Amino acid sequence: MPIVEAHGLTKVYGAGTTAVAALDHVDLTVEAGEFVAVMGPSGCGKSTLLNLLGGLDTPTGGTIEIDGDLVADMTDDQLTLLRRRRFGFVFQFFNLIPVLNATENAALPLTLDGIATAEAHRRAQEWLARVGLGDRMTNRPDQLSGGQQQRVAVARALVTDPALLLADEPTGNLDSKAADDIAALLTQASGEWGRAVLMVTHDPRIAAYAHRMVFMRDGKIVDEARIGSPEDARRAMEKVGLL
Amino acid sequence: MRMAFTLAGRYLWGRKLRTLLTTLAVVFGVSVIFGLGSLLPTMVDTFTKILFASAGQVDLAITSSSGSTFDGSVTDEIESVTGVRAASPVLRRPVGMPRGAAVGTLQVIGIEPRSALRVRHYPLAEGTMLANGDRGVTAVGASVARDLDLAVGDFIEIPSARGLRRMRVIGILDTVAAAGTAEAYVTLSDAQMMFGEPGRVSEIEAGFVNGADRAAVEERVRRKLGDKYTVGGIESGSELLASLKVSEFIFNMFGVFALAMGGFIILNTFRTVVAERRHDIGMLRAVGARRRTILNIFLAESLLQGVLGTAVGLLLGAALAYGLIAAINPLYENIVNMTIDKPQFELATLLIAVFLGIGVTVLGALAPAIAASRITPLEALRPQIGDVEERARGRRAGVGAAVLALSAVAMLSQNATAVGTGSVGVIVGLVLVAPQLVAPISNAFAWLIDLIFRSEGEIARSNMQRQPSRAATTASAVMISLSIIIALLGVMVSLTDGFLDYVDRSVAGADFIFLPTNLLLAAGNVGASNELVADVRDVAGVDTVATLRVAKARVNDAAVQVIGIDPVDYPKVATFEFSGSGQTSDIGTLAKDRRLIANGIFAAQNGISVGQDVRVTTINGDKTYQVAAIGSDYLNAKLGTVYISQERLKEDFGTENNAMVLMNTMPAADLTTVQRQLGRLVVAYPQLTLYDTLTFREEQAATLATTMIGMYGLVVVLAIPTLLALLNNLAMSVIARTREIGMLRAVGSTRSQIRRMVMAEALLLAGVGVTFGVVSGVALGYAMVEAMNNIGFKMPYSFPLSGIVAGVVIGFAFSLVAAIIPSRTAAKLDIVAALHYE
Repeated sequence: MPIVEAHGLTKVYGAGTTAVAALDHVDLTVEAGEFVAVMGPSGCGKSTLLNLLGGLDTPTGGTIEIDGDLVADMTDDQLTLLRRRRFGFVFQFFNLIPVLNATENAALPLTLDGIATAEAHRRAQEWLARVGLGDRMTNRPDQLSGGQQQRVAVARALVTDPALLLADEPTGNLDSKAADDIAALLTQASGEWGRAVLMVTHDPRIAAYAHRMVFMRDGKIVDEARIGSPEDARRAMEKVGLL
Repeated sequence: MRMAFTLAGRYLWGRKLRTLLTTLAVVFGVSVIFGLGSLLPTMVDTFTKILFASAGQVDLAITSSSGSTFDGSVTDEIESVTGVRAASPVLRRPVGMPRGAAVGTLQVIGIEPRSALRVRHYPLAEGTMLANGDRGVTAVGASVARDLDLAVGDFIEIPSARGLRRMRVIGILDTVAAAGTAEAYVTLSDAQMMFGEPGRVSEIEAGFVNGADRAAVEERVRRKLGDKYTVGGIESGSELLASLKVSEFIFNMFGVFALAMGGFIILNTFRTVVAERRHDIGMLRAVGARRRTILNIFLAESLLQGVLGTAVGLLLGAALAYGLIAAINPLYENIVNMTIDKPQFELATLLIAVFLGIGVTVLGALAPAIAASRITPLEALRPQIGDVEERARGRRAGVGAAVLALSAVAMLSQNATAVGTGSVGVIVGLVLVAPQLVAPISNAFAWLIDLIFRSEGEIARSNMQRQPSRAATTASAVMISLSIIIALLGVMVSLTDGFLDYVDRSVAGADFIFLPTNLLLAAGNVGASNELVADVRDVAGVDTVATLRVAKARVNDAAVQVIGIDPVDYPKVATFEFSGSGQTSDIGTLAKDRRLIANGIFAAQNGISVGQDVRVTTINGDKTYQVAAIGSDYLNAKLGTVYISQERLKEDFGTENNAMVLMNTMPAADLTTVQRQLGRLVVAYPQLTLYDTLTFREEQAATLATTMIGMYGLVVVLAIPTLLALLNNLAMSVIARTREIGMLRAVGSTRSQIRRMVMAEALLLAGVGVTFGVVSGVALGYAMVEAMNNIGFKMPYSFPLSGIVAGVVIGFAFSLVAAIIPSRTAAKLDIVAALHYE
């Protein structure tokens, strides 16, 4: 069953002669439990696609359906609730609140949803333990390494049991070891915990962790491939000229 | 809301220096409002208590509605009223003691001992109380005995209208009964003789029979005496009370200004905070925070700061009130012989301070908080969008330019209300156009900065121009602070010039003056009898002698002091400062019928105009006087005063007491000889001091200069927000540019260069603030002088050159002081840590 369905998705910045189409009539569907990697060169529209699907930005044209509901019909508050309860976000620069500790950061979406602090913290700590931070629960972001901060961000994204995890270059700011750990965690989120994952990356090695790869260029999806092994990924990338 | 408060608390704790600097702004404003707000009512209350202490412990006090003395036979009328046990006549006069005496003003109270003891308790500490028939004896208060080192059996010399009277001390009273006043009780007949008021009294005290219906007895007394008398209250000193009330208002305004500056600092801080936390806001919105949640986080932060700042401000305000009382008590004791007790912390003052402290803080944060809540998640996660801010700045500048143009027209209108509104408009207009002017003004200062700082000056300038709104907000806070300083100094210069000019004009024709030592309570002071005046006239070389005689009255129901002058002689020795079409010849018309000249402040406050008939309450009932002119002499410019002829004063108020004597000499007279002879005459009247006009002018200038010291102190206090605003801005600027500073250090900037860069930025900020401050300060000062003129304080407008110099010096000096900590912080930054700073 599709979690997200986008049809003819278009995003144009500027107007008249300065108009630039960041997305040009893109169709994309993400199924429950599926791990999709979006790849392409800088400026091809990867992040714009992710922002639109995550309800962070509004399209110029086309439609997005989340759980069968049209995003265009939603008010700002409905979109906010959707992001809070159905989506989880992981950003390149972690974006943790510097003055909150790991538990408080991970519990943030629950706290925003009015869940009692004790319960929110209990669930946050459960997720922190699952992502391997059982011994860092009271540390503040400046007391954690980059990889550990990104794990907190993943725990925060998963704490509400979202249907879809949106990750924008989640390993872009990490060393290769930490990057592999995060990619493995996203695979686990999809395979073991049943979440749909849509990840934007331009790192072929990380993209190879996904079930499906979507390739973009100049605002359009130019190819996509289902992959079962790193070898499939390598071949798909060679085909579109990314390797 | 819980999460909002948790986050707010953590953010505040996480940025301790910024929290401290921002909170200090609130602390300052609240402490001023609460401290001065608690002090002024105490002063008013203490003064009132002391006034009424004299009427205390008696059931009823009766005074003349006009405030002047009246016939003592009224005592019998009061005693005949059912329910009145006894009535006792009193003649009370404040007497200026000789210069240098430990007691400045002595209240001499003449009583009729037998009846007095029936209406009031006189607790004796030592000796005996007065008895009917006593002459030349006195019972003094314990404070007088202590201050003048008197014991029972000693003698005290009390100045009187007939020279010094030597009185033997027969008793010392426990002064608890009338705390704060220096009192000497004499028999009524002695007092009437000393003050040249035979048969007259200033008040009557009455005691009720046990169990009497107090309200009913009071009403019966009132009915019996009619409206010529006031039953229950004492009018004396009401002018001083009114003046204290005005001070209360001024200090409250001062506190509000201080808080307004605090509001600017808070606004500035939160704008920076919002800009700094864009990524946090974006993330919170992305993970499901509503707009309202974002708004709540910032409002919670401001609320916490407001509560914290207000709490500390209240404590400091209380300390300020105690400190000020300790500082002014010696002065008060010397001048009006009263000591202020403890500050009065009233609930209303507390609520106002809390409301303003928290309210201004939350209000200051409101606009940035709303702006933060409007940021979309994507905007927040992206780099800043300068063009949106640019457009908003342009619109605001357009409105500001229009406001400035309208204000300029209003300022030139010469209408006091329009000028006042215009001056506020100038400040508002400048605040609005400030962001657009940051670049041109900082460019204008570029040559100076480049001269001192070379390459660092260039970087500092571009840093400031990159954040014009933040720089403009700081400059606005500096502007408000400096404009008040410049305006205040401008008013002080105008006031000094105006008053010295007044002195020159008022005593222009006189060569010598006999002046009471205590000018403050001139309305009731003991002056000189006509015998002294006659003696002065007999001195060889003295030409014209004119005197001022004083009484109190109500004109159209407003309390006023009445000064009696000789319409023929007075213009020869002194001049008036007239308003409108008034001229010296108007003084001569006072001799005709019942005519008066009202001074500016009284005319303005009571809407009195030339030609109008006014109702004057005299000891002989209401009389109609016609207003001949509006004008004043120097000494009485501050108090509501009307001038009538001495002939009318005697007829309507029964007063011949000369409070002040002015004289000029013949052209050929030897001034030294005349002065020596006059000096001999005045020895017997220590309540009067002989001045030649030059010394008088110098002394007045010195007194004015002493008074101004307090005002200069106020100016220094007013400068504090300037320092806070600059310090706050520079500290935030360094925090916001931590990564950039790390980069500069990484590519080879020395610590000294970083320090100089922050210093240069501080000077540039001060340059913008000072420019705005000078423009608005001149406008505000002009408006203040116009306002003073409008309420009757006639003074010429003097361009505040010294104020501008002070403003420029304060602005630039404070900018360097404010830059010390941020520049050192910036220079000490660890390069690696700075490069990874988020």
